[in-house]
Amino acid sequence: MEVVLGIRAKDGVILATSKAFTRGISVLKATDDKTRILNDYNILGFTGEGGDTTQFADYIQANIQLSTMREGTELNSKAIASYVRYELAKSLRTRKPFQVNVMLAGLDKREEPFLSLIDYLGTRVDLPYAAHGYAAFYTMSLLDRHYTPDISVEDGLKLLDMCEKELVKRFPMEFKGLLVKVVDKKGIRVVKGNE
Amino acid sequence: MSQQDPSTINGGSAVAMVGKDCVAIASDLRLGQQSMGVSNDFEKIFHYGHVFLGLTGLGTDVLTVSENFRMKTNLYKMAEQREIEPESFANLVSTSLYEKRFGPWFVGPIVAGLNSISSKPFVCGFDYIGCIDYAKDFIVAGTASEQLFGMCESLYEPNLEPDDLFETISQALLNAVDRDALSGWGAVVYVITKDKVVKRYLKTRQD
Amino acid sequence: MSINAIAKKYSYKTLAERELEDANEEYEHFVPNLSTMSPSLTLPPISQPTEFLRAHTDDSVNPECKIKIAHGTTTLAFRFQGGIVVAVDSRATAGSWVASQTVKKVIEINPMLLGTMAGGAADCQYWETWLGTQCRLHELRNKERISVAAASKILCNLMYEYKGMGLSMGTMVCGCTPKEGPTIYYVDSDGTRLKGDMFSVGSGQTFAYGVMDSNYRWDLTVDEALYLGKRAILAATHRDAYSGGSINLFHVTEKGWVYHGNYDVGPLFWEIKEKEGSFNNVKV
Repeated sequence: MEVVLGIRAKDGVILATSKAFTRGISVLKATDDKTRILNDYNILGFTGEGGDTTQFADYIQANIQLSTMREGTELNSKAIASYVRYELAKSLRTRKPFQVNVMLAGLDKREEPFLSLIDYLGTRVDLPYAAHGYAAFYTMSLLDRHYTPDISVEDGLKLLDMCEKELVKRFPMEFKGLLVKVVDKKGIRVVKGNE
Repeated sequence: MSQQDPSTINGGSAVAMVGKDCVAIASDLRLGQQSMGVSNDFEKIFHYGHVFLGLTGLGTDVLTVSENFRMKTNLYKMAEQREIEPESFANLVSTSLYEKRFGPWFVGPIVAGLNSISSKPFVCGFDYIGCIDYAKDFIVAGTASEQLFGMCESLYEPNLEPDDLFETISQALLNAVDRDALSGWGAVVYVITKDKVVKRYLKTRQD
Repeated sequence: MSINAIAKKYSYKTLAERELEDANEEYEHFVPNLSTMSPSLTLPPISQPTEFLRAHTDDSVNPECKIKIAHGTTTLAFRFQGGIVVAVDSRATAGSWVASQTVKKVIEINPMLLGTMAGGAADCQYWETWLGTQCRLHELRNKERISVAAASKILCNLMYEYKGMGLSMGTMVCGCTPKEGPTIYYVDSDGTRLKGDMFSVGSGQTFAYGVMDSNYRWDLTVDEALYLGKRAILAATHRDAYSGGSINLFHVTEKGWVYHGNYDVGPLFWEIKEKEGSFNNVKV
């Protein structure tokens, strides 16, 4: 019951992940970071099978960084989304597929806010707001109601607070709050949850 | 994660029809995760030159297969110095699907187009391992295929003009997806005639 | 002893038969021969009826099952300053087949009591109608209207009697009595019974909760509350594949329930989207 939640604002993208790292019936860590920074303007949030998640995210991170070094230029968000989807779709038809759901948040070509939802099958959709797993069942109707495309990052964070409140109220499991990161023209920064 | 039927995880439907010197192809726009709608912008119609392909089924395979055909038709174009014709493309789809006989793509493809030389309308459909189903009238695919069969069997008539064909295919699709929980959330229709292609989005129920 | 009496002595009686017989005995002098008019529940002539039923009707156990019972719903009820709002969708599905878009999911138990319907359509319809007769019997016996607590308890006890037999229902019994005020009880087929201020039941419940929680206040006006109920169901019909059709709205006060209309989701969605500037994931 992990949470990955993204909101695309007009001047940036918000990516929130739950801080609980749970195995079996114990919370092993309450300050977990389920994101990887891919380059200056793109981050990847992930959930899924323990082990698979970090292995996959590290693999993507390494390859994106390798590409940046080789080409001397950064891949844009759409290209990264396409690459991540390709890797998951390829992995799906192997003996041991990665069971990882990811969300890519970034500024496409350092300009256009971009949010992409990709599940472990390799199903990719680019959306204004999205969530993985059960969190989507509680937050999507709320975002359908309150989201507007011209929303600012600041108001987006208020919307995110509403989502977190709803999850705390109705979600049957403790997720230890959200770690919230923002990608905008200034780059990537943590805005909440790393206290 | 529970193992489920891959062809009904994401939902979605498509239909193609033959008219007088024209063809039409249409699909819904929904992509879901089981019961939850995720995207209403997931078009299932792709085109390669003047050939149109509708792909329903597992979302990830719809994306992968459509990209594969983009690559293959581009290579074809380079080798042949012309765009692929609908008849040849149907055979390409068939062999490409059968190539994965023992680990298939979970898609339900349909093809529609006009032959660029003879202007003859062409539609056909496939099962997910490549058996071609040629048709003179219409072809359906997806989670609302049974409903689409019902609508098409009752609404379709041969030799419709483009405008009437548009009306017929739209009504067939709209009323079929309204009776399927996993399809809907918008629709797109292409009407293809010799000298132009008209693409229209339909306003549909959003439940 | 007549042969019929001997046969009767050794015949198996279902719970409902016994219930009805008990009721009949008491009121035999009012209604002659009630038992021939009332239905009774029959069991299949096999060793394990419950397992048989599960294997052939429960699609969570056997997705290939040939008999698919109508499922999938969104229903809600909440208490506020002006009474109770009850709102429901109207879609019935069997697998992914939309079997109906015009189901009545609020059952008018009597002019004071409402029951909502989620889960097996037939189970809810039958037992809530049955609850209506029980409430009437209570009135006749005690010369007093039944409380919501007692009514819901009758239903809950019945559910518990049949626990494990494959009944499927999640319902909210809503009503208003002088001593209780506006009251909502949630009752389901495992025998759970809860009193509360806000419930949503069915496959679209989470979506309805999302909207309700973020816009609810105790001092909502009646119009605001009715709109919130409608809006929460709309949210659920939009996202949940198994909810849709139209919305039925009810308001419950001390004077009984009032019906506030049926709204087709088709046009209602676009109307509300335009008015609120919401649903920005949908292109016009």
